[in-house]
Amino acid sequence: MNLLAIETSCDETAAAVIAETGDSARPWALRSNIVASQVAIHREWGGVVPELASRQHVRDICGVVEAALSAADMTLDDAGALAVTQGPGLVGSLLVGVAFAKALAWSRGLPVVPVHHLAGHIESLTLAHGELPLPAAVLVVSGGHTSLYLVPAPGEYRLIGRTRDDAAGEAYDKVAKLLGLGYPGGPAIDRMAREGNDRAVDFPVARLTHADRNRPRATADGLLPPDVARRLDFSFSGLKTAVLRLVRERTGGVAAGKAAASDASGVTLPPGDVADICASFQRVVVDALLDRTFEAAGWLGARSIGIAGGVSANSRLRAEADARGRRHLIPVFVPPLALSTDNAAMIGAAGLRRLRSRGPGPLDFNAEAGLTL
Amino acid sequence: MTEEIRTSSEDETAAAGERLAASLNPGDVVLLYGDLGAGKTAFVRGLARGLGAPPEDVSSPTFTIVQEYHGRATLYHVDLYRLEPAEVDDLGLDELVCGDGIVAIEWAERWRGRPDDVIEVALESIDDEQRLIRISDGKA
Repeated sequence: MNLLAIETSCDETAAAVIAETGDSARPWALRSNIVASQVAIHREWGGVVPELASRQHVRDICGVVEAALSAADMTLDDAGALAVTQGPGLVGSLLVGVAFAKALAWSRGLPVVPVHHLAGHIESLTLAHGELPLPAAVLVVSGGHTSLYLVPAPGEYRLIGRTRDDAAGEAYDKVAKLLGLGYPGGPAIDRMAREGNDRAVDFPVARLTHADRNRPRATADGLLPPDVARRLDFSFSGLKTAVLRLVRERTGGVAAGKAAASDASGVTLPPGDVADICASFQRVVVDALLDRTFEAAGWLGARSIGIAGGVSANSRLRAEADARGRRHLIPVFVPPLALSTDNAAMIGAAGLRRLRSRGPGPLDFNAEAGLTL
Repeated sequence: MTEEIRTSSEDETAAAGERLAASLNPGDVVLLYGDLGAGKTAFVRGLARGLGAPPEDVSSPTFTIVQEYHGRATLYHVDLYRLEPAEVDDLGLDELVCGDGIVAIEWAERWRGRPDDVIEVALESIDDEQRLIRISDGKA
């Protein structure tokens, strides 16, 4: 069966077609994956502009769906089901996809499956690599999210850690803006960091509790005890503030404040300094992400690690995760770039998973900005 | 009336938010001003706790723009950091502030049409840890 998936939770209008393969080890095949990338529009404004985004979704959605069908060499008659992102996200943006999918499902008599955006990111790993060895510890890290999940069984997602303030991708974007590197900040910092010394600046590592040498016992249901769960949370606000303070010191005060409060990036630091700051910042972020993920994997007896979301494209994160995985003898899975940033293919994968385990939902679901997984 | 509070940790900044929450009613609007790292999100975490919403649900809405937390009233946590004033006009904040929730808005200076009968919270970094918080309710 072919499933048509639609994703409009934030800045990307996306549609994709996923087919079932009948192979339980590699259950889904990607037939098409179309993203009407709005990066060109957003760059001008230094970020995601929601009203612009939702108008753009309305304008783009028909064309994107048609492109996804045609790239899969099929018509709507060949689709057996629909999936759509229900949340979390901007409600105005989500509504475009949800209303479109429900109307299409109603008019064609097709089942439609509501999907949590982060379930989509997690299932992007299975779409790309086949079923992961379970249980798996999966880090979803992007502009809007930094969350750590335990996947004990297919289609089960248990939140075991998340950011208490800024998402990692958000910290990248804000630091890039402070340094005058533009949007999106992740690739810009990643590029600069290659030229820099990652030990040049001793940025603070967010330590949320004291180090505990005793291996805590996992609870019977595989979840961490509450005190341990808190330790698996992330925090990137302090790091961001430390970069701001450093830039202020080196530029004599006002420049960084102005850059932070407006879209004018007026900071002029020597390129060598910028590279060193990028490299040092990136080292601290990557260590924080991987320390928690590998700790969780060890404590919970995970048999694999997944890293999904836009930040998983970061070169240092990929290289370090691979190196640690080899050291700890645990396989690490990262999706290809097209499945790491927001896309509909992952929504299709999570939709097929849910359709087969729980059946289609009723048509009366709504977009939910604060949907939890 | 303006109240000035000095805090010397992120937890104390959150506690100041928690105290303010005790006096908030559905329909109230809190506008937050302050530079990156001044403690706006920490203050909103305190608001959430004071309203009986799980404080661990609070994170920065810079990317998500609007987040909701459910306590004795719904707290809408808005962040205008990424937006140009012209885009803020189109965001529908008027509808949000006319609703039954409590609305807390970071980078509120980017909203040209912000109402007058609001509580304003200005956070300022004094040094690494210390913050000066000015809370004014717009009344004499």
